Amino acid sequence: MNSTAAISSQTELHALIRDRFGHEPDWSLSRRLRAATNWFALDWPRLERTPLQKRRLDAIAVYDQPPADGETQFINTGGLEMHLHNNVPVVRSIPEPWIQRGVIFQSLRDALDNSLVRQYLGSLLAEDSDKIAALNAALWQNGVFLYVPPGISETVEVVIQNYATSEVQALLSRNVVVVGAQSRVAITERWFNAGAAHKMLLAANTEIIVEHGAEVQYGAIQQCEKNAEAFIHRAASVAGDARLDWHIGEFGAGLIVSSHQSHLNQAGASTKSITVFFGSGQQHQDYTGKSVHHAPHTTSDMTARGVMKGKARSIFTGVTQIDKGARGSDGRQREQTLMLTDDARADAIPSLVIDEQDVYAAHAASAGPVDRTAIFYLTSRGLTEEEATRLIVHGFLAPVIDAISQSALRDEVWQAVERKIRE
Amino acid sequence: MAAPVLEIADLHIQIDDKPILDGLTLTVRGGEVHAIMGPNGTGKTSLAQTLMGHPRYAVTGGAVRLDGQDLLAMKPDQRARQGLFLAMQYPSEISGVTTANFLRAALNACRADGSNIPLKEFRDELDRVMQFLEMDPKFANRYLNEGFSGGEKKRNEILQMLMLKPRIAILDEIDSGLDIDAIKVVAKGVNSLKGPDFGALVITHYQRILDYVEPDFVHIMVDGRIVKSGRADLAEELDKKGYEWVRSELVRTGTVEES
Repeated sequence: MNSTAAISSQTELHALIRDRFGHEPDWSLSRRLRAATNWFALDWPRLERTPLQKRRLDAIAVYDQPPADGETQFINTGGLEMHLHNNVPVVRSIPEPWIQRGVIFQSLRDALDNSLVRQYLGSLLAEDSDKIAALNAALWQNGVFLYVPPGISETVEVVIQNYATSEVQALLSRNVVVVGAQSRVAITERWFNAGAAHKMLLAANTEIIVEHGAEVQYGAIQQCEKNAEAFIHRAASVAGDARLDWHIGEFGAGLIVSSHQSHLNQAGASTKSITVFFGSGQQHQDYTGKSVHHAPHTTSDMTARGVMKGKARSIFTGVTQIDKGARGSDGRQREQTLMLTDDARADAIPSLVIDEQDVYAAHAASAGPVDRTAIFYLTSRGLTEEEATRLIVHGFLAPVIDAISQSALRDEVWQAVERKIRE
Repeated sequence: MAAPVLEIADLHIQIDDKPILDGLTLTVRGGEVHAIMGPNGTGKTSLAQTLMGHPRYAVTGGAVRLDGQDLLAMKPDQRARQGLFLAMQYPSEISGVTTANFLRAALNACRADGSNIPLKEFRDELDRVMQFLEMDPKFANRYLNEGFSGGEKKRNEILQMLMLKPRIAILDEIDSGLDIDAIKVVAKGVNSLKGPDFGALVITHYQRILDYVEPDFVHIMVDGRIVKSGRADLAEELDKKGYEWVRSELVRTGTVEES
């Protein structure tokens, strides 16, 4: 089936799914078919400050399969690395010693027979919440499955690179990550694409299971072109004494709706998150960070810092939720945005949802224009206004970017900031 | 290079349509130290900020030239690169930018040939000047003015001045909030630049600092104008008799209107 433009009914979409994914195990195929039914029944996501009607998402040819952009090459880069072009794995590297120790690193479609995939796919992110979730569940093209067995104490470094060529209309991705007890993993995920005159819908869901005592660093940098309308959601379940650090840099895409959520399920679980974003031109960025304390003595610390210029618009919603019974928990968040132009707009919306008395919770949020007096001060010493602004932006972002422990990602985030300043 | 000349001719300025300076004329040449004294709210700081190019002030008349060039047509950074420096009354705090990194960026921006100052040369000079100003070397690696006390900020302004070596420096209430030892250090800094290639305009409310930075000329400013000029002894007379004396004197001679 080549032409997909004509699909207008559930029957046609079911036929397309059978045609395209008929070889998958029954459990997976039937999930896709269920989701396809939802696709027709559900609405686009309703976001309070991000109206989607004007973005004409329904004009995007979401059924089109991206053209294959190469064949899988198995190469050894020394670490675990997968490059997906148009959701086809073109580079896959997994050093032999890791295979022998039980690490599994496959494209998700190659891993559908693994019981862990069946167990965890869709376990943390709903597939029936809205049209995007249903579309992704019905037609996801590929993604990554990573399994690290328990007891690997040296950090397993993983790179996942996602790229789409200009022909792609819809890039639909799923990732499942399972990290066994006491193991350590550091993931760096990159998103980018070739720009095009037409819009590209990017929908990506990542689910992360962090078992008892494990330590996971999840870093991601998104630098898509402005034709991308991106919906990137990540959710993690964190077991007792385990720790999850998020390091997220958001720079690209015309529209980005992104979230990360951590469910702290057992005592001693903790999460820390850093989000750095920089909007320019007409970019619209809607982020949500969520820390959910389900168990006693859990801790969360969320930081977001953004810079807006041009006519860019951002929303950062931080939610710290502490359930009844989660005694002795500690949840914090702070959001700060700096606006370089009068036309830029940023909203920081912190919220604390606390159902337990014996906890510590705090939030701080601010959004303000760049200090004109400070610019005058710096220019009075001979720096141009551009250079003065650059110094102030650097100073504003340095405390959070320098706190990113994944050093290669930290450098990339700085480079992206430099590029956005010059833009 | 010829000795610097800053010429202010019949300068009128406004903020939000409110007149602040009402025809101020003054020339500062290399080798000279001028002091401007005056009561609060008379336009001294507005004069300093306007000379440096603060966008808040609208120049409604007159001219300002530095070495014959139209200063008012320049942006603040261009003025700085022409050799003008303003030690501010309330320096900004710049988070995340160390004093050393900022100074190096400023020095590089002010170098005429577009080259960068070698790091070692910069570090040696910074160490030397900080020692001269009796500053803790740790300040170089602290964020610019962030959490500095009032006195530390003032000293930091003088540090920047000595590093940038301007041709004309305006010091806006550099003595306010300083104890006598700190005033002596600040004065030592200013005096170290004295010479034919350096002119200074010292704006102050009190005569105190002029005991240590000896002015060649003293001007008294009232209601946006210079109403009386003289030598160093004018400052002493003003200190003894107070601003009310100037006001009554001026009303008597018809220079200002009775308020």
